[in-house]
Amino acid sequence: MAEKRITVRATRFDPAKDSEPRLQSYDIPFSDDSMVVLDALNYIKSHVDGSLSYRWSCRMGICGSCGMTVNGTPKLTCSAFLRDYWPGSITITPLNNFPIVRDLVVDMEDFMEKLKSIKPWIIRKQEMPLGAGEHRQTMEQIDDFRQFSQCINCMLCYAACPVYGLDDKFLGPAAIALARRYNLDSRDQGTKERLPVIAHSDGVWECSFVGECSVVCPKGVDPAKAIQQTKLDTSVRFILPYGNRE
Amino acid sequence: MGLVSAAAYETVETDVLVMGAGGAGLRGAIAAAEAGARVLIVCKSLLGKAHTVMAEGGVAAAMHNVAYQDSWEVHFADTMKGGKLINNWHMAELHAKESPERVLELERWGAVFDRTWQGRIHQRPFGAHTYPRLAHIGDRTGLELIRTLQDRVVHTTGVEVHMEVTVFALLKSEGRVGGALAYRRADGSLVLYRFGALLLATGGAGKMYRVTSNSWESTGDGTALAYEAGAQLRDMEMVQFHPTGMVWPVGVRGLLVTEGVRGEGGLLRNKDGQRFMERYDPDRMELSSRDVVARAINSEVEAGRGTPHGGAYLDITHRSPEFIKRKLPSMYEQFLKLAKVDITKQPMEVAPTIHYQMGGVRVDAETAASSVAGLYAAGEVASGLHGGNRLGGNSLSDLLVFGKRAGDAAAASAKKNPKAAAAGIDPAEIEHAIATLMAPLDRPEGENPYRLMAEIQDVMTEHAPIVRDEAGLAAGLEKLDGLRARAEVCGTGGGQSLAFNPGWHTAHDLRSLLVNAEALLRSALVRKESRGAHARSDFPKTDDQLASVNFVVEKTAGGMQVRPEPRPPMPEYLADAVQRSYALYTPEEME
Repeated sequence: MAEKRITVRATRFDPAKDSEPRLQSYDIPFSDDSMVVLDALNYIKSHVDGSLSYRWSCRMGICGSCGMTVNGTPKLTCSAFLRDYWPGSITITPLNNFPIVRDLVVDMEDFMEKLKSIKPWIIRKQEMPLGAGEHRQTMEQIDDFRQFSQCINCMLCYAACPVYGLDDKFLGPAAIALARRYNLDSRDQGTKERLPVIAHSDGVWECSFVGECSVVCPKGVDPAKAIQQTKLDTSVRFILPYGNRE
Repeated sequence: MGLVSAAAYETVETDVLVMGAGGAGLRGAIAAAEAGARVLIVCKSLLGKAHTVMAEGGVAAAMHNVAYQDSWEVHFADTMKGGKLINNWHMAELHAKESPERVLELERWGAVFDRTWQGRIHQRPFGAHTYPRLAHIGDRTGLELIRTLQDRVVHTTGVEVHMEVTVFALLKSEGRVGGALAYRRADGSLVLYRFGALLLATGGAGKMYRVTSNSWESTGDGTALAYEAGAQLRDMEMVQFHPTGMVWPVGVRGLLVTEGVRGEGGLLRNKDGQRFMERYDPDRMELSSRDVVARAINSEVEAGRGTPHGGAYLDITHRSPEFIKRKLPSMYEQFLKLAKVDITKQPMEVAPTIHYQMGGVRVDAETAASSVAGLYAAGEVASGLHGGNRLGGNSLSDLLVFGKRAGDAAAASAKKNPKAAAAGIDPAEIEHAIATLMAPLDRPEGENPYRLMAEIQDVMTEHAPIVRDEAGLAAGLEKLDGLRARAEVCGTGGGQSLAFNPGWHTAHDLRSLLVNAEALLRSALVRKESRGAHARSDFPKTDDQLASVNFVVEKTAGGMQVRPEPRPPMPEYLADAVQRSYALYTPEEME
């Protein structure tokens, strides 16, 4: 049987030379049924063109580095199988809604600022000394926010979010989910401090509930749910000033 | 030479430069900043993506939340016995004593842990730990640890992060390291960092081998830079094969299968269905130390009892699907997605994979100071704590304990040497380092660096396997000579661009890999015995004389030198802790 091959088109862009990104086509062997899109890129880089640039690291869907747009959908390329596209071809472009640095690499600096703004750490009115041991917490209490704590900062949700695409001031899905994770943590007492950021006009109310963020999330975080819960939560707080949970 | 002369650099000054943003780097940065230093972290990839994120099983700390009998003494004894007694005993002592506090601190900062029914941090059993000791969250403990530290760094005053920056040379002035040259991956622009002290937290060098659990970043940069700057390395013959890596599909060969699977009751079988560990370590069986289990799987495969893909079966199907999905969610997902194997119904196929470098920069136990003034090292890049074999879970605790100690000491050192960052550096040295970095860009016809990297991996895989011998090691050294010569004149594999050019970056990484590979082969040649991760078919026995010896690697005018160095004996109270026998733990007590 002839060797199976697959056509992969990837965005190429060198800011020093190109005025805008273009697609380059590669015809590569599809030698093993388990190959993922990242394997295809690594093949191209090692054997065809060493200058092809993209981010990746762990190969196991936990570092969140290898997010790209595959045939129009934001995906972790280490978990996107070639077999799901073959015999069709694959087009790999950078994540939408971020500036391109080179080829498939985008600038994500913006998220770091957003991350900081929602105070993703435990806030206590009074710190306990280390000698007092851990805060007690039950597995059931963790279940309240476990889902929102699985985020790997891969930015697929930002790439899928139409609101963020129009206005990059929008806090965005991952940051709001993270805020929700801390607000729901039984050890935390900082909801009030986070409120001004998430209830701000660039916070939850910007969301038009398209829900694409949750569709593309590779970790099942469901940021859309976090956003809707937060909307409800902030409304209740507004209507019932004594309803603040501490 | 057009590119070389055109290469200008920007100068950035700080008190403490931290190289690497994994667990040790981040914990060190927090400590240094809290001690009042201005801290700058440079990391090769994005913040939060460092190798620590891939750690699965947990953090070892004798908090005795599950087994009341546990104490720092038992943790210390386990670590020393696991390391086959060539560990730096003072590091092992500090580590065992301080890791509980470091874990509690992490919890304070927001880390989520699985809990006991009383709401305390739950601890799971792991290989060669006498008692259940690993604080964990499912099997994604590394992610939680890195997120927590990252978020702490983000809100610590005085810490700045420069992402996707690679340091390619350290510069000294009057015997003290005070400068580091780096390039920004995004545009190839150059930076000269000037600092009072440098903390290396660059991780390991798994990319020396073909099959590894490590990602592309693990090219041993810190070890190589320290060596070139004149620092001593130690125990470089000791690299850990993790017994259970995925063997197929090919694309994920070497990917880690957490020891947590065995911790939660997973059984190892050969193709005949036999629990072969009963022939290698009948007492501890699957929960024996990693060196023993890795060699056992290797022996089974060599004896023709391997699985179809050349490994062993790892079976957890006797546990309920709910239990497996709760305790090992990432493993469940990983096998289902990548191999279409449902681990609640079918056994996994596993084989040893290169996982960890026990050797590295020789450091002072208390301060993590290297033998070069101003240079500190913590985490996998440092050596001493793990000796001849690392226990699972002891890496994350290592990062926290010695990351903090190194950060404290580096901050103090920077404060004591306020003029270090301004001391004169020989401009010729800077020029030479830049010229060497840039040269591959001027060689469009030069050899492909990826090909060279693959050949280095082939050499190490063939010549420094699980079981080594003199002829193989010596032949490997000879091949490295040839590869070094080719690497010195290699190209970029296509593309002369300065912007995010991975081929160019790889050409530089080769130099780090070659230093690590050479140090490994040379050290392995002189340790004429089998101990821990270092097994020699020509010296299959452990030599008691060598129990008190570490091999130290140094750069000399005549090239790389390896020499034995005696280690002072343990004080009596520590020797006692090692010799004492501890009550066995029975899992029934756990619930």
